Amino acid sequence: MSDVRLGALLERARDGDRDSLRELVRELNPVLWRVARGQGLTAEDAADVVQTSWLELLQRLHDIRTPRAVTAWLITTTRREAWHRQQRGRRDVPDGAGVLETVADPGPPPDERLLTDERDQVLWRHFSQLSQRCRDLLGIVAQVARPDYTAIGEAFGMPHGSIGPTRGRCLTKLREMLLADPAWGA
Amino acid sequence: MDPVDRDILDRIARFDPMPADLDERVLFTIALHDLDAEVAREVPSAYAGSGARAGGERARTITFDADSRSVMITVVERDDNLVRIDGWLAPGAALRVELRRPEPDPTLTVTADDTGRFVFDEVPHGLAQLLIHAGSGSGRVVTPSMVL
Repeated sequence: MSDVRLGALLERARDGDRDSLRELVRELNPVLWRVARGQGLTAEDAADVVQTSWLELLQRLHDIRTPRAVTAWLITTTRREAWHRQQRGRRDVPDGAGVLETVADPGPPPDERLLTDERDQVLWRHFSQLSQRCRDLLGIVAQVARPDYTAIGEAFGMPHGSIGPTRGRCLTKLREMLLADPAWGA
Repeated sequence: MDPVDRDILDRIARFDPMPADLDERVLFTIALHDLDAEVAREVPSAYAGSGARAGGERARTITFDADSRSVMITVVERDDNLVRIDGWLAPGAALRVELRRPEPDPTLTVTADDTGRFVFDEVPHGLAQLLIHAGSGSGRVVTPSMVL
């Protein structure tokens, strides 16, 4: 997922190349999904927000001046859309009702049925104790083979060059917690 | 990155995977050839759960908001495993409304009445997206795709 390659895909997409657009969607959807879920949206809402962000991109396809910034642009849009979605959802809830549903989500709740592997359960227990930033970062890094740290850093408002080291610290911390837990094993 | 780190990240990636059909839904949504239209957002409703009953039929209501116009639709399950869509544009106007579906299903087109009401009947289940054509003084409005 290099920004140069994604930028080239965007340029071809705006010349009308549907295959490039398709490739761009396949590359970036897992990241946008993670971003929307990281904002505490339900799976259904997250899927809608990801779609809306792509529709927004298509509207502005010809206004984007630096194609290489497409990842950052989409992450930022997804975060904004997710935030608005939550605000609208809250406004819609009548006084006193549904309060429980609107409490800030501690993170992406995995489907418990999927955590049949005991080590997955141990990992989830420790993972959910990490800071929100660590969970967001590791969640994204886990989805993509070679993440574009510059784009992710920009979109999350983190200083240039700090995202790689932060990711490293988050992973090291998680790893230490796991190795100290007998249930994880060696 | 060593095998332990790799194992940890692989497991994290499986915690909350993206829905298998999300790529397909996005590609369908943005497949309109000319996307010069305002994007309407779905308004989450605390009451619009599926399975609500309207007049003995199973129905759900979805509202989409754009700056220039809102679209409210009620998707009613028919007995023959098809659905009927009762829609309403606000502000009301006699505009052309398209229901796009993935190829090879044809796009369905109706025209709303003067009060903005429109109906699509005998529609199969599946992905669909609404496109409301421009009236005088407003642009086109497109919705995200939904699963009927």
